Amino acid sequence: MKMKKILMLLLVTVLLFGLVMNVIAASKDTLVVGLLQGVISLDPANHRNRTSETVIRNMFDGLVTRGPDMKIVPEIAESWEWLNDKTCEFKIRKGITFHNGEALTAEDVEFTFNRIIKEGGMDGESSPRKGLLGPLESIEAVDDYTVLFKLSEPWTVLLKMLPHQQIVPKDYLEEVGTEEFRKHPIGAGPFKFVEGKLNERIVMERFEEYYGGSPDLPPVGIAPMKTVIFEVLPESSTRIAALLSGECDIVQNVSTTDAPLIEKNSNTVVKYAKGTRAYNLEMNLSKPPFDNINVRKAMNYAFDGNLLIEMVYGGKGNFFAGPLFPYEEMFDSSLKQYEYNPELAKVLLKEAGYPDGLSIVLDTETDLKEVAEITAGMLSEAGINCTVRLWEWGVLKPLLLKGERNLLFNYWGSSILDPVGYVDAKFLTNGRGNYSKYSNPEVDSLIAKGAISVDPVERKEIYKKMQRFIYADYFYIGWSVNSLTGCSADLINWEPIPDSRINLHDADFK
Amino acid sequence: MKSTKILERILIAIPTMLIIAILIFVLMRIMPGDPVDKMMGKGGNINIEEVQALEREFHLDLPISAQLKIFLSGIFHGDLGMSFQERRPVWELIAERIPPTLELALCALLFSLIISIPIGIISAVKQNSLIDRLGMAFAFLGISTPAFWLGIVLIIIFSVKLSIFPVYGRIAYVYKPIHITGMYVLDSILSGNWPALKDSIMHLVLPSVSLGAALAAVTTRILRSSMLEVLRADYVTLARTKGLSEYMVITKHALRNALIPTVTVVGLQVGMLLGGNMIIETIFGWPGLGRLVVTSIFNRDFPVVQGAVMFYALIYVAANLIVDIIYTYLNPKISL
Repeated sequence: MKMKKILMLLLVTVLLFGLVMNVIAASKDTLVVGLLQGVISLDPANHRNRTSETVIRNMFDGLVTRGPDMKIVPEIAESWEWLNDKTCEFKIRKGITFHNGEALTAEDVEFTFNRIIKEGGMDGESSPRKGLLGPLESIEAVDDYTVLFKLSEPWTVLLKMLPHQQIVPKDYLEEVGTEEFRKHPIGAGPFKFVEGKLNERIVMERFEEYYGGSPDLPPVGIAPMKTVIFEVLPESSTRIAALLSGECDIVQNVSTTDAPLIEKNSNTVVKYAKGTRAYNLEMNLSKPPFDNINVRKAMNYAFDGNLLIEMVYGGKGNFFAGPLFPYEEMFDSSLKQYEYNPELAKVLLKEAGYPDGLSIVLDTETDLKEVAEITAGMLSEAGINCTVRLWEWGVLKPLLLKGERNLLFNYWGSSILDPVGYVDAKFLTNGRGNYSKYSNPEVDSLIAKGAISVDPVERKEIYKKMQRFIYADYFYIGWSVNSLTGCSADLINWEPIPDSRINLHDADFK
Repeated sequence: MKSTKILERILIAIPTMLIIAILIFVLMRIMPGDPVDKMMGKGGNINIEEVQALEREFHLDLPISAQLKIFLSGIFHGDLGMSFQERRPVWELIAERIPPTLELALCALLFSLIISIPIGIISAVKQNSLIDRLGMAFAFLGISTPAFWLGIVLIIIFSVKLSIFPVYGRIAYVYKPIHITGMYVLDSILSGNWPALKDSIMHLVLPSVSLGAALAAVTTRILRSSMLEVLRADYVTLARTKGLSEYMVITKHALRNALIPTVTVVGLQVGMLLGGNMIIETIFGWPGLGRLVVTSIFNRDFPVVQGAVMFYALIYVAANLIVDIIYTYLNPKISL
């Protein structure tokens, strides 16, 4: 009897405690985000990682930023002007202060970029973000509120690349040093750092003296949220559970299979943003069987990209015609997707000397296994029998670059939705991600021209030509998938953005 | 005598660890995959100069022998190097992860012992009874249930449906225990912060059960079979004929001897628990060692992997030593 009473008491305590927990989670001046992975660094110059950037950009502002439509808008910079095709002048907004109360001036901007482009710029360490600034040669503070960006050669995507760099306070950094700065980062963003362990939880509080952010992205002013918390939750089912139980208000990287679960719950919704990651099937042109154009053609006719997107991603994606994202500025809209025609594929295979079909290994990584298997199943209808082989990327990549593999299913990121950084890696002879071993001197020269062309019309013509070459060589099949974010249904003034940044400045609850 | 033996064992561990350090150093570098390339990710806008600058900074431009020399001289100065990715000292990264892993491992161990010792004893004493069969069924279930599945099922039932336990993390943000040991349960007790204590225990329940279930199952089975063996031994019969109560026979005579194989198994499992459990840590958003090591291997963050493997070696040596010391306590005839 006594035992029973104790047990009852225990149960009641536990249940009451559960209730208290729920009440705490429901306090609405705090917003909790469930992140896909740990943060590498809180120093804006010390990482090459989207998750880290997402967290950092809530504490630090850049010269310019992007709205949900991916348009570049001013942030810390008030305006800019190209003085010539290699020099850009930025006017800095007046009255911006860092979290420690110091005014942000052109000197801080100069210091920020020097830290990135100079070898050993971070107290002897080199920044892994230099390449994101292309041919930026020097930065010069002309007066307190004017900065000149000088390039060693023309580079059209400077503005598109600048949202990825955030301004740090020169005086504070010089005073405390890099190591201390990383432990107690200070920026000029809407939230200030409170505490954080990079692989566990990062907590920020509203910065009450915030200048308001970009005037082009209303509402302008201090953030409605008092506290924002980023929780590291690498397991997707845990993120979903945390959203469903109300412990998180936004969770990253929801899969299409989990989306219905979130939609079904009356307190949660799924929001979509266009993807900036190109998934692709790449054929190695340097050896048989894909050195034969008919085999490559057969691959294109045997693959039904639209069906794949419908089946696997619930229709939330885009099948490419040619190499570029159909929603990027430089896309050639005259290109049409290759139709799905397994019979034609069989004929082409026969012509290529494979009358009984082709057997081949499809290389991919563990996280892409399911899609790879579905793709293999689809190709087998046309007599292309693929065996999916899973690799650890560090092992596979050197083999790909040596041209030792035949067929790859993988992806490549293009967070600015511009050919720069994408085509020069994938299609330039010996490019960093050129796993097809594609080499075409005409494409090489078009890629080089496109990167330095400053006239948008001319640039589009250049890239159109490039796309047609790649389209006609049949070695690259691409598609993109919308990114899915799970949110609390009460969340307002927040939309996901294709570059996968989670900006909480305006986010609020109903 | 005993303490000199212990010291001797510790000294023998040093060359072992050194060999392990050199092995892992060489293995990491033979393994395909380039740390700087991993750092840059799958995306464009990479500048060859920045890649070279990073390689120089990490000494990756030097031959392996020269890199090894730098590494070893670092070790002798007590310096495990800097993480390539985070640019923080390796010892700091590892030290940060030890308290969460230790806390979870101890709780999982506690849970498994609380479950397994009574069930193991009762099952053996009342062999083939209903309790025995239920106990063994439970043990079978525990061994064959994958921890990740159990973890997710527990989250769905107790967090999402019943809202009793939190889904993830070690403590809610609103409770901040003073940092003393880094183990929140202990810190909350030491600082008398009772709400934090409650909250950290609530956070510990599901991961401890998920992690401890398999260990509980193994321990139950081992304890039951060794108890069965011991209960049939002559000295137990003698103890009974002497007229000792059944309780005394079981606890003083049988259990003590039956514990020796159990301690061996538990000791080895503790070594594994302390290494951190990647799967449970990932599911429950628990920032422990397992996750650090796996992430570092995928990122080819050589210094972190090297440091962590050396730490693992240390744990195993220590766990084995402790098991041996417990043996001598359980059976004074055994010496170190």
